[in-house]
Amino acid sequence: MVVYAARRLLAAIPVLLAASVFCFVLIDISGDPLADLRFLEPPPEPEVIAAEEARLYLDRSMPERYLLWMTGIGGNGDIGLLQGRFGPSVRGPGFDIADEIAARFLVTLRLVVIALLLAIGLAVISGVISAVRQYSAVDYTLTFVGFLALAMPAFWIGALIKEGGVWSNQQFGTGFATIGAASADTREYDAWQLFTDTAAHLILPTLALMLTAYAALSRYQRASMLEVLNSDYVRLARAKGLRNRIVVRRHALRTALIPLATVSALLVAGTIDGAILIERVFQWRGLGDFFLDSVSRNDSYSVMGWLMLSGIIVIAANLVADLLYAVLDPRIRYG
Amino acid sequence: MNPRRRLTRPTRWPVVAVALAAALAFSACAGDDPGDAVGQPGFDDCAENPNTCNSGERDDGGSITWLVVSKPTGWNAYSPEGGSVYTLQMLHGIYPHTGMFAPDRETYLFNMDLFAAEPELLSEDPQSWQYVLRDEAVWDDGTPISADDFVVSWKLGTSPEQGHCDGCRSRATAPYDRVESIEGSADGKTVTVTMKEGEYDPEWFGFLNVDSIAGGLMPAHVAEQNGFDVDDPVQLGGYFEWLQANMPTFSGGPYRIVEGDFENQVIKEPNENWYGEIDPTLETYIIRVIDDQGAWVPALANDEIHGGAPIQLNEDVVSGIRELPNVYSHIHPGPSWEHIDFNIDVPAFQDVELRRAIFTAIDVDDIASRNFGEMFPDYTLRTNHVFSADSPYHVDHVTETGQGSGDTEAALAILENAGYELDGTTLTLDGEQVGPFRLRATADQARVTSMELIQSYLAEVGIEIIIETTDDLGGMLGEQDYDIAQFGWSGSPLFVGTAAQQWMTGSGSNFGNYSNPEVDRLVTQELTATTQDEAAEIANQAMEVLVQDAYVLPMYDSPVFIFASDGYVNVRDNTGESVRGVYNNHEWGTAVQ
Repeated sequence: MVVYAARRLLAAIPVLLAASVFCFVLIDISGDPLADLRFLEPPPEPEVIAAEEARLYLDRSMPERYLLWMTGIGGNGDIGLLQGRFGPSVRGPGFDIADEIAARFLVTLRLVVIALLLAIGLAVISGVISAVRQYSAVDYTLTFVGFLALAMPAFWIGALIKEGGVWSNQQFGTGFATIGAASADTREYDAWQLFTDTAAHLILPTLALMLTAYAALSRYQRASMLEVLNSDYVRLARAKGLRNRIVVRRHALRTALIPLATVSALLVAGTIDGAILIERVFQWRGLGDFFLDSVSRNDSYSVMGWLMLSGIIVIAANLVADLLYAVLDPRIRYG
Repeated sequence: MNPRRRLTRPTRWPVVAVALAAALAFSACAGDDPGDAVGQPGFDDCAENPNTCNSGERDDGGSITWLVVSKPTGWNAYSPEGGSVYTLQMLHGIYPHTGMFAPDRETYLFNMDLFAAEPELLSEDPQSWQYVLRDEAVWDDGTPISADDFVVSWKLGTSPEQGHCDGCRSRATAPYDRVESIEGSADGKTVTVTMKEGEYDPEWFGFLNVDSIAGGLMPAHVAEQNGFDVDDPVQLGGYFEWLQANMPTFSGGPYRIVEGDFENQVIKEPNENWYGEIDPTLETYIIRVIDDQGAWVPALANDEIHGGAPIQLNEDVVSGIRELPNVYSHIHPGPSWEHIDFNIDVPAFQDVELRRAIFTAIDVDDIASRNFGEMFPDYTLRTNHVFSADSPYHVDHVTETGQGSGDTEAALAILENAGYELDGTTLTLDGEQVGPFRLRATADQARVTSMELIQSYLAEVGIEIIIETTDDLGGMLGEQDYDIAQFGWSGSPLFVGTAAQQWMTGSGSNFGNYSNPEVDRLVTQELTATTQDEAAEIANQAMEVLVQDAYVLPMYDSPVFIFASDGYVNVRDNTGESVRGVYNNHEWGTAVQ
């Protein structure tokens, strides 16, 4: 398995490389990073523009800039991925792309982890219930909810949930917040107030992010559970006189969770990327917000930094999913 | 048929249903009561009394959260990355400044909290003027505001070639490079600014004002406290970067920042050493960054924000805000104005008659009406390339020319007289089709609507227009990648130099490569005018020539809006300054109940 993992990681390098070239070209041709500067009132002097172009290496050709970003050779000491530097940002010489990504990663992780835990928990429960009571009213209801959540775009769910939160606050005095990860002024808050404030800001975006993930997972779990419930060994267990609860929980569920475990690993990566829209709707300053901001500013090096992190997460998640499958299912062996 | 035949039961109900349906249809089509749809009590008289509307008695205490619609990217508004209006809005109330325009965009208010007397011009050649600072004017730590602060603020804005600051990266240096010296009296309270030989600024009163590059005065003593010798150019450059990297916790204004970042919010509290006439009554004043328009209305409904003055007018947002109880809102002409420009380098557009005909065929009023008529029926058309309609220098250069009138017949007459022919539905010159032409603008709804309408107007004179939107307006204009373009300029009551910037041959903002020796002569002359009146007169002369050349067609002042919870008083918009609604933030307060 170690050999397999190493082989997979090595194979991922050209994939990341190709993705980085593709993205760099796309971002580079999509616009002028200094467009906002050129349009300032009063307009800046040509020397100011030239200095910014030099600082951002915009006075070099695109291939040169890509190689610079990758190797740092010929730069000013602030660029070179292989040297651990992400490059200069249009947001100024004081803006450290690596620091910013690291800080925002933790913000996004907080949102994603809680959303996924909830999504997986609910998906398991609803998937099992749906499978055990196949074609019942409960099954149809849960299926409908799942498909509804799957069909609605994330930003729309977010906006609806936000409206629902405001309505609930007005009707019932609940304290849901619609913007940010915390209230603007928490200086006087004690520990409990900080906790409740964090929760108030977490609930709505978590719900929005969770619904999208739950929808897919619940369908997986239902299908997997149905397959297992119809297998021979489960039929034998029932024939031996075991109670239905024992059969489902001890024999069927464990096997049915295997596909879900692997899908969940993939979903972590997908949800981190999917948090882009939710973070924009709820104004969380996470990785998604960083990405959108960087794209809108044509900040190539920031986008590349985001891409590298996102790419590594996707590759790692895929690898974990494959390895997890081998761990959980003894029939699977990788050479 | 007997006309008196009574309606029988089978025929009665359908008639009733039709009548009800008609009533519903008519009620849906009927306009709202203007009293409900346009404005609410707080901002009701802002059109007539922009300087005093929404005034009221303040109660002590309270907190307000004000919206800023885009993230600033630096604490130092001098720098290219920090130089945005959002930085200025976020920091307003911290830096002492020399003055600002009032909301009527006409009255200039010197900052008499800072000055013991109104600044006065001492001489014209070389130009010099003087400030006398009040003894009470101090920074929050008690250090007097003095000439040293003026000197540092000036030097931080100069280009490296001037030798004052090695490492300063001011995004615009011209206003500062023209200054020869700034000297202070022995006690530092009298400040004399002298321009270089041959330099003259008729708008000298705007030096280091609210809308200057940095929004006010930078503290000299803070540089020294942090180990920077402001007389050493290299160390002053270090101070420049220090200002960029560090949130200002000092203050020479009514508020000081106690906590914050420019990703989320800054929290301000009253400066205990504030020396001004009017003290803030709010306990906290928070500026919160929310860059998604869809988030504003729920946040306002949820009491997470209490006001804002966005630059973008979004119909959905305006409608949402108007539906909220206890919120005032007001739409009015903003500082920016839309216009259509030709790329003169396009061979067909070398013919001024074609340009005049195209401008004549475009119906600017129709475009404005379609875009804003429902939300804001009092929109104002722009008929001057520099001065808005409420400016004392405004002269209507456009109307009498017929440009922007949408008069298709007149446009066709111009074309016919110039030798063009309409071959079916296609305009030709010497048998060759004229056009098609690429009309480009950004993809926001108002501009897309405008471009579609222009396409229809020009089709009537046989010109085919291909609409191409862009995400990179700056790049498009910079590379002249258009035939006809629609975009906006931000206007200001401080106008000297605008004409040169936009129309002088080879000027950086003259994107369409327009050139006219007479205009060049006039705009150069404007730069050396000794008074605003003189400069305005010259600018208007230049515009007379420009209009005949049909290079730029002014369209309308882009409307903006302001909204605020009704629990606050003295909140009002100021489109004369880029800080907009926060211009008088120290006068805000919770309304007395």
